[in-house]
Amino acid sequence: MDTLLALSSELAGAVERAARYVVGVNARRRFGSTGVHWQQGLIVTADHTVEVDEDITVTTPDGRTLAATVAGRDPAIDVAVLRVDAGDLTIAEITAEPARVGHIVLAVGRGPRASWGLVSAIGDGRRRRPEAADWLSLDLTLYPGFSGGPLIDARGRVVGMTTSGAARHFQIAIPAGTVDRTVDELMRRGRIPRPYLGVGTQTVRLSEGLRERLQTDQRSAVIVVDVQPDSPAAAAGLMVGDVIVSLGGTRITEPGDLRAVLRPQQVGETVTLMVARGGEPREVRLTIGERTRRS
Amino acid sequence: MIASAPIDFAALAETLRRVTVEITDDGAGRGSGVLWPRGHVVTNAHVVRRSRVSVGTLERDHLQAHLVARSPDADLALLQLDGIELPTATIAETPARVGSLVVAVGNPFGLRGALTAGIVHAIAPIARNGAPWIHADVRLAPGNSGGPLADMSGAVVGINAMVAGGLALAMPISRVLEFVLSTGVVRS
Repeated sequence: MDTLLALSSELAGAVERAARYVVGVNARRRFGSTGVHWQQGLIVTADHTVEVDEDITVTTPDGRTLAATVAGRDPAIDVAVLRVDAGDLTIAEITAEPARVGHIVLAVGRGPRASWGLVSAIGDGRRRRPEAADWLSLDLTLYPGFSGGPLIDARGRVVGMTTSGAARHFQIAIPAGTVDRTVDELMRRGRIPRPYLGVGTQTVRLSEGLRERLQTDQRSAVIVVDVQPDSPAAAAGLMVGDVIVSLGGTRITEPGDLRAVLRPQQVGETVTLMVARGGEPREVRLTIGERTRRS
Repeated sequence: MIASAPIDFAALAETLRRVTVEITDDGAGRGSGVLWPRGHVVTNAHVVRRSRVSVGTLERDHLQAHLVARSPDADLALLQLDGIELPTATIAETPARVGSLVVAVGNPFGLRGALTAGIVHAIAPIARNGAPWIHADVRLAPGNSGGPLADMSGAVVGINAMVAGGLALAMPISRVLEFVLSTGVVRS
């Protein structure tokens, strides 16, 4: 058997195996996304494709529709975990072996559909989000509906979860090991804690003078427009009109950054915020709280 | 099983280029075609809009061919080369699988014999309850229409017909065979 034929059969076999644990996730108004049966009864998918909290369904490879609930979300890495009564649905084979630049990989979407390419880089190239340091940049096409699906190696093992939503203009995969830590947190605590600050913010441009005083070249930050009473922000003394420039050393350039930078594991930790108050820089120490479930 | 399957993409390209032609329709259309037994050429109906066309191979230009059968519904056409027989394409015996490697050869923008490689993305209808198509993750351009989509043994699994959402859509070879049989001029 020659090399190309052998590789071709191996790739087709890998997709066939993946198709047994790849599900359709129906949790947004537009077309659905893809999910992976990661552990018994737990479906991992891309958080940005789970736009609703109720009436979520999962379509199994054999066409059954299962009701699903949100077990937890980790927006910072764009991972959501759904709970389903999965029965004998095949569980994904996940490899802890880290992917390397140049590896041939396949992205699999519901259907099954597939695209192939290479791991082109490790890290999202922007350097400003520490949790993105081990993300896999992909030289392949994530077609509509692929987000949340598995990135597999030529043996059909899951090396990551693909998403086109976490980093704009990038086709990336969250490494399986990173997803595992979130799923483990969920198993251990019974939930994924949602970090909570208690501020409402809007984007604000930083003037040249302020940039100089803050010794930063970032062009925007967020201004506090609301501080919720009895919140971590209130306890830390944050005030309406404060401009938050960074949190824990990570730049905050828009309100979404505040949500993206906070990890579930950080609940209870104290971090330092760089803030401009009345045009003067100051440091604020803040203990990250946990958002309680809304009734 | 094919005894001497190509061992690299270059050898594969060579095999396919010998059985792929360029079709020019006196300016009205331009595309690709696949050489079939007894001097026939299979292509898309939308490539051939006249009864006489010009066919170019790797080695020869301006071969004359005439239209034998054309089905706009199936988007397929069968041509007969005038007084010449050429090597013919090998037809795949097994259908394409999702994830398997494929190559397309054709004449995108008149670039003769251009090769592009990728995988089968899906086997699915393009319209609700329609017949299945091969969706391939390969880069096609105008001029590829009518050309072969082939597996790693060089056997043709489909005829490239269009591009949608960045994906190549190829007609499975089984439907092409049905069409050719239905014309009654070629027995398989």
